[in-house]
Amino acid sequence: MAIDPKSLDAPFTALAAFDWGGDVQPLAAIDAAVIASHGDAALRADLEKRLADLLGGKAPSAAKQYACRKLCLIGTAGCVPALAELLGSKEESHMARFALQQIAAPEAAAALRKALGEVAGDLKIGMIASLAARRDAESLPALTALVSGDSTVAAAAAEALGMLGTPEAAAALAAAKTSGVAAEAVVDARLACAEASAKAGKKAEAKSIYESILKAVGEAPATHRGRAVRMACQRGMFAAMEG
Amino acid sequence: MAASRAFQPSSSRRDFLKTAATAGAGVAAPYVITSKALGDATTPPASDRIVMGGIGIGNMGAGDQGAFLGMKDVQYVAVCDVRTRWREEGKKRADQRNGNGDCAAYVDFRELLARDDIDAVHIATPDHWHAIMTIAACRAGKDVYLQKPETLTLREGPLMVSAARRYGRVVSGGSQRVLDDYRGIVNPCWAGEVGTIKELDIAVGGPSMPCYLPAVPTPPDIDWELWLGPAPQQPFNPGRCDGNFGTGGGSWRSYIDYSGGSLTDWGAHHFGGAIFAADLRELQPSKVVYHPAANGHPAYVSVEYPNAVSIHHNRPHPLRPEKPSVAHGDAIRIYGDGVKREAKAVPLYRNGVGSIYADFLECVKSREKPFRDIELAANTMMSPHMIGIAYRLERSLEWDRQTQAFKGDAEANRLVDRARREPWII
Repeated sequence: MAIDPKSLDAPFTALAAFDWGGDVQPLAAIDAAVIASHGDAALRADLEKRLADLLGGKAPSAAKQYACRKLCLIGTAGCVPALAELLGSKEESHMARFALQQIAAPEAAAALRKALGEVAGDLKIGMIASLAARRDAESLPALTALVSGDSTVAAAAAEALGMLGTPEAAAALAAAKTSGVAAEAVVDARLACAEASAKAGKKAEAKSIYESILKAVGEAPATHRGRAVRMACQRGMFAAMEG
Repeated sequence: MAASRAFQPSSSRRDFLKTAATAGAGVAAPYVITSKALGDATTPPASDRIVMGGIGIGNMGAGDQGAFLGMKDVQYVAVCDVRTRWREEGKKRADQRNGNGDCAAYVDFRELLARDDIDAVHIATPDHWHAIMTIAACRAGKDVYLQKPETLTLREGPLMVSAARRYGRVVSGGSQRVLDDYRGIVNPCWAGEVGTIKELDIAVGGPSMPCYLPAVPTPPDIDWELWLGPAPQQPFNPGRCDGNFGTGGGSWRSYIDYSGGSLTDWGAHHFGGAIFAADLRELQPSKVVYHPAANGHPAYVSVEYPNAVSIHHNRPHPLRPEKPSVAHGDAIRIYGDGVKREAKAVPLYRNGVGSIYADFLECVKSREKPFRDIELAANTMMSPHMIGIAYRLERSLEWDRQTQAFKGDAEANRLVDRARREPWII
């Protein structure tokens, strides 16, 4: 059933003032329009613009969360600038990523990479997580630069390199100078890279990673963690030989 | 995993037994060798017991803890919960069973996972934490008993399976009902009496909904930030985080950021029982069919498996066969062709033990896969998750097991997973 965009004026007016505990009934029309817009480019573009415009205004956080959830489903490159504006906000960054992570357009990845260089701490980890989820190969240099020392950011960057799983990511991890929590993350990420190598038929590369980790872990690790890592290497080498 | 990474102490389990002192928010206590620790005629000595801790210790967590406390081969040493009441009550139950005051109590699961003396954990937090905690536990070298529904998104299942396999961990899903409650339909199906199964009906509630409950002051007895964890930042409201079993509002099971709703909550049991009865646990659906509302009947969704078996969720009465071959009340109805097939042995708990909890412990010792191994659990949960996505999009979908993605539907693929709030990453 075709939806007249004018019929959405009142629901979007209500949305602009929507806060926690507010009446959700007017939002049902927007919910329905989002679903109905599948295959209707004009309606979808209209919805995307209205939702993106709301993000730039003074709408309450509940309204902005609602808009991000809808853009997660229908967003295109068109709404990326509005979402990108929120990436540096402690309150809104996650919901902006909630949408951006799922928008396939390269502009979305570019916005996340740009923010990666601008934000710090947990927000930076957020950018890393979303870029990793997108398997964004262009993030490799930035991620490589972050895998250093003992910090949760370095650990997240290592994790992301493991998710990339490419030979370049494996090389960056092998060269990383880390300690503590980041060093553990490097080991986990290298195991992921070894599995990716083995799956790609690069058995020698996989074996090399496993042997390197085994050497560091030692013959008889004293901890559950150490034994689990050793087991991961042994199982991985066996699987690589079998496969 | 950056923020959920557990720091590993250098001491071994036996070192810990000599010098035990817990860290952080834990209740530190000197270790004393008691008769309970040394064992007796019915209880193994402490060094032979499985040392366990529990994460998420209210509601079902309390039930799971009670089951493990009742096992003689469990040494229960730690609880973790972001709510003071659950944490204190969980510690009290363990201390009563242990006859001392030594059970440590943590707010942050990372501190519990950092203890190298702990061999295994049970997890019964809200669903949005399951994958993060399970993967962190596997990396810390712990075995895991995980309450159902094991996953919140389609992508989480393969990640958890990968972690379990990579680190050689025993990870059991936690639906005690699949084998215990549904034998009345499982046995005739596996005995071949139903014949070739073509269709199943499951009646259970629908998917979860967004939550916009109003903000109220956060009480001092909950770490709200840690309760939310990877979920979107939203204000405290008791109805948002209550652990009651309702799914119509007023519990976390109602809301999309924390749960798949009744469809995955009770659905984990009903789909689990039906999929087990029809021997579909190794498979994943290949099609999801959305049936729009028509002729006065509400919309419903079916999943189709590669072997041409269909499961219908809430198919209206007039549209389904009048008489099933076997049924569990009106919750599960199974239709076979009635042509007797060769019987297969029903997979049971290991060594004939009587519960899914004991099955897990048997597998911790033997290193075999448990009855509800995480891969089977993740496969099972895919049906209700896919059905939920079809309801949201109001259209049919096709699933490619190889790529773990919906075919030709970019929007549906946006719902395969979701961005987690920083600093959580899996």
